[in-house]
Amino acid sequence: MTTNKVKDRKKKANEKQQNIIDALKDHGAKVYGDLDNGQFPKFSIPSRSVSNIVYDKKIRQYILGNSAALRSSRNSSQLRSFTQLMWLAFFANRLTHEKKSSTLRDVYYSSQAFEIEFEDQSESDNIIVDLEAILSKPREDFHIFPEERSSIFGDLNIEYTIPGYEGKKMNLSNHPDGYAIGPSLTTAELVDTSAEIVIAIEKGGLFTRFVEEQVDKKFKSIIINTGGQAPRSTRTLLKRLHDELGLPVIVLTDGDVYGEHIAMVIKSGSANAAHLRELTVPDAKWVGVWATDIEKFKLPTIPMTESDIKRCYDLQSDPRYQEGIWKKELDVFLKIKRKAELEAFSKYGLTNITEKYLPQKLELAKSL
Amino acid sequence: MSSIKEKFNQISPSEFFYRNRDLAGFSNPTRSLYTAVREFVENSLDACDQKGIFPDVHMSIKAVDPEKPDPKQYILTVKDNGPGIESKHVPLAFGTVLYGSKFGLKQARGMFGLGATMAILYGQITTNKPVLVKSSTDGKMQDEFELLLDIQKNKPVILKHTTKEVTKRGLSVSICLEGDYAKAGSKIKDYVYETSLITPYATITFDDPKGEKFHYSKIVNEMPPAPTIIRPHAHGIDVETIRRMMVDAQFEIPNIDDAMVEKVRKDLGLAKSNLAFTGIMDKAKKRWKTLSRPVRVVISLMSFLKMDFEKLNKIRIEDIDVPNKKLYYWDFGDSQSKSVDMDPESQYYKQLIGTVQGETLTAFLTKRFQRIGPSTAVKFAEFAGFKPEKRMGSMTNEELVKLSDSLQKFEDFLSPDPSCLAPLGEEPLEKGIKKFFKPDFCAVIQRPASAYSGFPFIVEMGIAYGGEIRPGGPHVYRYANRIPLLYDEGSDVVLKVVNDTDWVRYKVKGEPPFVIVTHICSTRIPYKTVGKENVADRQEIERELRLGLQFLSRKLAAYMSKRGQAEMAKKRANLYAKYLPLIAQFCTELAGKTKEPNYKKLLEEEIIVDDQQS
Repeated sequence: MTTNKVKDRKKKANEKQQNIIDALKDHGAKVYGDLDNGQFPKFSIPSRSVSNIVYDKKIRQYILGNSAALRSSRNSSQLRSFTQLMWLAFFANRLTHEKKSSTLRDVYYSSQAFEIEFEDQSESDNIIVDLEAILSKPREDFHIFPEERSSIFGDLNIEYTIPGYEGKKMNLSNHPDGYAIGPSLTTAELVDTSAEIVIAIEKGGLFTRFVEEQVDKKFKSIIINTGGQAPRSTRTLLKRLHDELGLPVIVLTDGDVYGEHIAMVIKSGSANAAHLRELTVPDAKWVGVWATDIEKFKLPTIPMTESDIKRCYDLQSDPRYQEGIWKKELDVFLKIKRKAELEAFSKYGLTNITEKYLPQKLELAKSL
Repeated sequence: MSSIKEKFNQISPSEFFYRNRDLAGFSNPTRSLYTAVREFVENSLDACDQKGIFPDVHMSIKAVDPEKPDPKQYILTVKDNGPGIESKHVPLAFGTVLYGSKFGLKQARGMFGLGATMAILYGQITTNKPVLVKSSTDGKMQDEFELLLDIQKNKPVILKHTTKEVTKRGLSVSICLEGDYAKAGSKIKDYVYETSLITPYATITFDDPKGEKFHYSKIVNEMPPAPTIIRPHAHGIDVETIRRMMVDAQFEIPNIDDAMVEKVRKDLGLAKSNLAFTGIMDKAKKRWKTLSRPVRVVISLMSFLKMDFEKLNKIRIEDIDVPNKKLYYWDFGDSQSKSVDMDPESQYYKQLIGTVQGETLTAFLTKRFQRIGPSTAVKFAEFAGFKPEKRMGSMTNEELVKLSDSLQKFEDFLSPDPSCLAPLGEEPLEKGIKKFFKPDFCAVIQRPASAYSGFPFIVEMGIAYGGEIRPGGPHVYRYANRIPLLYDEGSDVVLKVVNDTDWVRYKVKGEPPFVIVTHICSTRIPYKTVGKENVADRQEIERELRLGLQFLSRKLAAYMSKRGQAEMAKKRANLYAKYLPLIAQFCTELAGKTKEPNYKKLLEEEIIVDDQQS
C-alpha cells in the first residue's frame, strides 16, 4: 500500500513537471508560428495592478481579477520586455528539462550570457513574476527558488527526487540544527511521519530552543523556522505537509502587527502572489503571541514605532482583518500601542515558553 | 547772471562733446577703441548703402609700440570703396562736430556723422596726433588731408593737403588713439563677426594688432533696396519740429528793387517792351501757372497799386495790413506814405495773405507730412478745433502747442510710411544665417511694417537649429538698423521675449544647438541707454517680436517633431533588428524546432509601416 502511495506521488510530481514543460512548449510554438507567418507575437498577461487584485472569500485568498495586459513585440516600448520574457521561458524550460535549480539573483546574472540586459535584479524579478502569472504556476515549479533561510526539524521521512539523489531517503530529526528548506526538500517525496502537528515559528532562536526542549517529541510535532516572512518554498512545503500528510499547521510569531501578518500570509497568501493558488494553507492557525497575551502573561513590552502603527491602520482596511481574532488582536495592538517578542517569555525562565505557554496554546488551537 | 549765460552760449559743439565725451561712448581706452571702430565701420557701410555699392570695408588696428603694455597708442584705419567725400567738404566733415549729411528722415546706422568726429576728437585729445583722411570720389584723383580740430572754435585746422592719382574710389580714415586692445579685442572681433552676418552683401576684413586676419566675404549678390527719405509722420512730431517746418512754409515779401523788376519783366516775356498796367495784368493772368512765387507776389502787389513797372520803381512797400485789408507804401516822388484798399475777393489778395501768413493748416499738413490727404487734413482740423483755412503764420504759441498735442492724439492718420526703412530681406538673412551657422534647420520671417509713436519699424527674424551650432542655446544675436547689439542684453526687449517663451512647448529641450537672430529697423530705435546696446520694451515692438518668434517657433516645432520621428523610427528599427532574432532563437528551442522561423519579412514590414505613419 505504501509503495502504491509512493508511486502515486512520483507520478504526480512527474505530471507536474510535464505540465510546465508542455505549457512552455505551447507558448514557444505559438510565438514560432506567429513569426513564421509574418505576425508580431504577443502574450496576454493577467494584470497585477492593485485594481485587479481582489479577495476571494470562497478560497480565502487574494486572486487576480479578469483584466489582462497585452505584451506585444509589435510595440517598440514592449519589445525589450517581451524578449526578456521569451528568454526567461526559454531558460526555465532548460532548467526544468535538466532538473537544475536557480535563484532570482542567479537568473539576473544568467541573462547576461544571452545578450539580454536587465537594468537590475528587480527588473528580472518582475519578468519572473510575469511568467508565473502567464503559467499560473509559482516559479519553484520551473526551478527558480528563493535563497534558503528557513529550516525544518522533526520526525519526517523524505525521499529526494532531484538528479543525483533520486531515491535517497532522509529523516529530518537526524540533525539538531534542522534542515534548510531548499529545492531538494521542497520537491522531495514526503514519505511518512509520526508527527501530528506542524509548528511554524517566526524566529531561528526559538526554533533552536524548541529543538533543545524536544518540542518535536513532547508535542509530536514538526518544527519549521520561517525566518520572518515565510519564503514561498516554505509555504509550499507547509501546504504539502497539510495537504499530503493531513497535518494541522499552527503559527507562532512575535506579538506585533508584523507577526500577525506573517501568520496571515501563511494562511491566505499575499497580494504580491495573487496570481498563484498553491501557496496557502487556509486552515493554518495563528496561536500567538496575541496582543491579549501580552496582558495575560505579563510580558515585558516595547512601544510600537510609527511604522508599526501605520501598518496596523493599513491592515484594518484589508478584508481578511474584518473578523475573528484577526480583527480583535489588531484592535488591541492599536489600543495598547505596545508589542512583545517571543523571547519576552525568557523573563520567566528559558523553558517558560515551551512548558507553560505552548501547551496552553496547543490546547486552545483545537478550539480555534 | 547775463555774463555767465553769455559764456555758456559761446561753448562750441566741439567743446561740449569734449566735456561730455563719455556720453558718446568714449569713457575709457577699452570702450573708446571699440566705439571708434564701430563709428568708422558704420559710416563706411552707410555711405556704400546709400549709393548702392557692395561695401568692401577694410579695418586695421596697429599698435604704435607693440612692446608697451595696454592701454597704449593704436592706429585705427578704416578704408572703404564708398562714394568718398568731395575735397571741399572733407575738412568740415572731419574737422567739425555736428557736420554731416544724414539729417533726412530715413533709416541709417548712425545719425549726423557725429560719432566719427567724436572718435577723431578723442584720438586728438589722447595722442595729440592729426587724423589722416584720404578720399577719392572719381577713382582717379585722391585728396589726402591731415587735420586737427580746433576744439574751442569748432573748426578744422588743415596741416597738410596733397593730391595724387589713384585707381580706386573710396574713403580711408586713419586716427591715432589711446586704446586697450587686450580688453576690447574680443568685443571688436565679435562686432566684426556679427556685423558681417547682418551685412551679407558686404566684404569685411579686419587685421588685428596681433597679426591675425579676419575676412568675411560677401555671400549674397543683391543689395537690399535703399531707403528713401520721407516726410515726418504726424505722431512723431513736437512743437519745436513744427516751428522749424513753418520756417520753410513762410515767405518774405520780396524786396522790389531793379533786379526784381527785371526778373518779373523777363518772366512775363516783357523784357524789351513797355506795356501799360492792364496789359501787364493780362499777360500775367495768361502766364500765372508758370510764374514763381516771388513774381506772383509782385504782380499781386501791382494789381492793387494799379501801377506799371515805371511807377513801381518809385515806391517802396511799407506794410500789408491783413485785418484792415490795406496796403501801405512810400511814394518817393511825393515823399509821403500812401495806402490802397485790397479787395478780399481778389485772387491776388489770397496770394499775398498766403505769403505773409504762410500756408493754410490743411496745406501745411498735406504738404509737410507723410500720408495725410486733404480730407484727413480737414477732419483733423475739426478734431483739433481749428478752421481748415487757418494760416500757419497766424498761430499763437498756445495754438501751436494745441496743434502739436492734437497731432499726437488724432487716431485717423494712416500708419507711418515704411519706405524709409531698409530691412535686410528674408532671402539675404536666410543665406547669411545658413552660411554662418551651417544649421540643419533655418527659418526666417520679415514682419509687416508697424509703428510706435509715429516712427515706423520692421522686425526681421531668423531661427536656426542643429548642424554646427554649438549647444547651450538659444544664442541670441540682436541687431538694430544693421548694427549688432553686443552688450547689456539683460534688459533688452528681445531677450525678454525670448526668455518668456516656453521652449519645451516647441520641443526644444536641454542645452539646444539653437540660434535666434533679430533685426529691428526703424527711423528711430528706442535705445534704453546712450550706449546703444539695448532696445527698450516698447509695447508695439515687443508685440511684433513676439508674433515673429511664435511663427518661427512653430516652424521649428514642426521640424523638431519630424526630426524626433525620424530618430525614433531609426531607433525602433534598430530595436527590432536586435530583439527579433533573439525571440526567434528562444522560441525555436522552446517549440522544440531546429530551424528558426522566417522573421526577416517582419523587419522590412516594420520600416514600411513607420514610413506610412510619419
